[in-house]
Amino acid sequence: MDRREALKRTAWLMGGVVSAPAIMGVLKGCAAKPSVDWKPAFLSNEQATLITQVSEIIIPKTDTPGAKEAGVPQFIDLMLKDVYTKDDQDRFTNGMKAFDDKAKETYGDPFVELDAEQQTEFVKQVHDDAIKAERGDNRPEKRPFILMAKELTMLGFFTSEPGATLVLQYEAVPGSYKGCIPVSEAGSGRTWAT
Amino acid sequence: MNLNTDAEKKNTYDAIVVGTGISGGWAAKELTEKGLKTLVLERGRMVKHPDYPTATKDPWDLPYAGSPTREDLKQQAVQARTGYTVRQDTKHWFVNDLENPYTEIKRFDWMRGYHVGGRSIMWGRQSYRWSEMDFEANAKDGIAVDWPIRYKDLEPWYDYVESFVGVSGNKDGLAQLPDGKFLPPMELNCVEQDLKKKVADKFAGRTVTIGRTANATAPLGHSPQRGTCQYRNLCSRGCPYGGYFSSVSSTLPAAEKTGNMTLRPNSIVYEVIYDEQKGKATGVRVLDAESGEQVEFFARVIFLCASTFGSTFIMQNSVSNRFPNGFGNDSGELGCNIMDHHLSVGAAASVEGFEDQYYFGRRANGMYIPRYRNVGKDKRDYLRGFGYQGGASRQGWTNLVAELSLGADLKQTVSKPGAWTIGMGGFGEILPYHENRVFINKDKKDKYGLPTLTFDADLKDNEYKMRKDMASDAAEMLEAAGYKNVHTFDNKIGIGLGIHEMGTARMGKDPKTSVLNKYNQVHACKNVFVTDGSAMTSAACQNPSLTYMALTARAVDYAVSEMKKQNV
Repeated sequence: MDRREALKRTAWLMGGVVSAPAIMGVLKGCAAKPSVDWKPAFLSNEQATLITQVSEIIIPKTDTPGAKEAGVPQFIDLMLKDVYTKDDQDRFTNGMKAFDDKAKETYGDPFVELDAEQQTEFVKQVHDDAIKAERGDNRPEKRPFILMAKELTMLGFFTSEPGATLVLQYEAVPGSYKGCIPVSEAGSGRTWAT
Repeated sequence: MNLNTDAEKKNTYDAIVVGTGISGGWAAKELTEKGLKTLVLERGRMVKHPDYPTATKDPWDLPYAGSPTREDLKQQAVQARTGYTVRQDTKHWFVNDLENPYTEIKRFDWMRGYHVGGRSIMWGRQSYRWSEMDFEANAKDGIAVDWPIRYKDLEPWYDYVESFVGVSGNKDGLAQLPDGKFLPPMELNCVEQDLKKKVADKFAGRTVTIGRTANATAPLGHSPQRGTCQYRNLCSRGCPYGGYFSSVSSTLPAAEKTGNMTLRPNSIVYEVIYDEQKGKATGVRVLDAESGEQVEFFARVIFLCASTFGSTFIMQNSVSNRFPNGFGNDSGELGCNIMDHHLSVGAAASVEGFEDQYYFGRRANGMYIPRYRNVGKDKRDYLRGFGYQGGASRQGWTNLVAELSLGADLKQTVSKPGAWTIGMGGFGEILPYHENRVFINKDKKDKYGLPTLTFDADLKDNEYKMRKDMASDAAEMLEAAGYKNVHTFDNKIGIGLGIHEMGTARMGKDPKTSVLNKYNQVHACKNVFVTDGSAMTSAACQNPSLTYMALTARAVDYAVSEMKKQNV
């Protein structure tokens, strides 16, 4: 059942009517905290939840799978744990905290508790600002959290099976090489994954 | 000492080959096919075609999207210097640097793998003949010593090895890059063809052509276990289709077929046994890498093909009354004259247009621009020259990280082939400098307790002057072709990064200034031959492996004919 229904029943059990504003407050409080159903090796459950949501905004499910379905959050967790240097790990997690703090500042709630529209709007804002900063005169020496997240999401997604085979195209054993052909004759005409 | 025991007889062969890489595999094939019972010793583990553990892995089968972990980079810090060798699909082919240390007085990049097949499994497969100009160069320039051979001496052997190897290439009709016995050439893509036309129009004496690669673009009847290239471009993993030449796919199976080969992996040769009374080598001393046992093997003729520094180490480590400075080292040149090809310099550009054009398949090859500097009437402020290797391609997702596109729009954008880019990097000839040297360091031992090597070598004025042209010529060609955002690159490198190291037991006419004669025979000990890169008297700019193969086949032919005449 959905939360409103559950709350109506609770009110009935408790023998009273619950007012609308109160409903909103209790709804939030009772809502199951979003979390991941796998055990991250490096990130905390909260951090893994946040990056899951961010990566799904970067590469959402459309008519093809998105980042979550392609296992990108787990990939990101492992990359941070085993591949990234300590400095880059810190840049990522500290940057994630700053990202979350800014969400709280902007919307009044932690990022993972915002609704989908707010999350998408926020990610786009932070992302676009970061891209502009990269192109500007005071280009930061190292990329901020949002672009690290984008890099990792794209790396994980386009090397995943759905990413490589459904969004891009992939031939395990081409068997021949044609150097100069129209795009329409190059397999499905999509970008080659490798 | 030499007691005629059963054990000694059991360990006695007609020939011993040390090493199973590009040259060792050829020595094994040629010796066994000529009827000699041959012991082939490889310091590393066994590898048998088609057992290549990562060969058919799809991108999603590799952890970390193939990236090296921090732990990988710790274990293989030197091997990682290329930027491409230590990845999840190839790292197992390269040494653990902590277990195989060496000392670099100046930065020196020594890339290798210890297993049957050696670097012939991971090599770049570019296969070019040297020309007369290359063999004459030292004599003409008054540099180092003259080669004791010329192109005509090696030409029939280039024919011979190319036919077996299967080299795909185009007959370009250039004096400085002799044509070979080729399988059909691979295609240039649309943008490469565009560059080819424009360079032909605007730069007399320069040619853009397709690379000459040891990938089979047609079946090789003489080698049934060889297939044809499937255009996966995953060669350095090892190819279960037998699509490219390696010892494991090609020469060792031929040797095995004769019934005359005994292949012994995990056998580290650390000394040549020299008999001062007989005035010849009688065998080699082996440290078994698995059991730690020391064993001696004996043979009438010995081929050192353990790679440039591998063979040089064995010779330097073989000290006797006759050879106090290392086996065969009457000249003092053993360990000296380290050469390589210097690289990581060139240019790249964006290419507008060609939006409706693409390619199918992953070509295991690139475009090639043969040397034109100091060729014919061209005269620069440096000696020798360089060739370029490169290619064009359409961008994929990596470029979209820095674009505004996000979400569903990002998925849409990335699925359409991106803008074209093109680039080329030069391979430049390094001159032989006596002082660029390697020597044994008894103070630092490897995990087997064997002494290690110390390198003291760097690029000098001639190379740095050449690099200026390597960058600006590339940019000039791309600009002239009308491409945009033309930018050069010139990175700091160590000698060795080209992975074409050579020169430390050079061939020459005079035993006072060289280690080997014109048949790769040690001047001072006629039954030992050295046919890997250590034999090279100059470096040219062409990828050297094909030349090592030709020298090896020729040296075996000579060795066997000398054995028949009882001269060896």
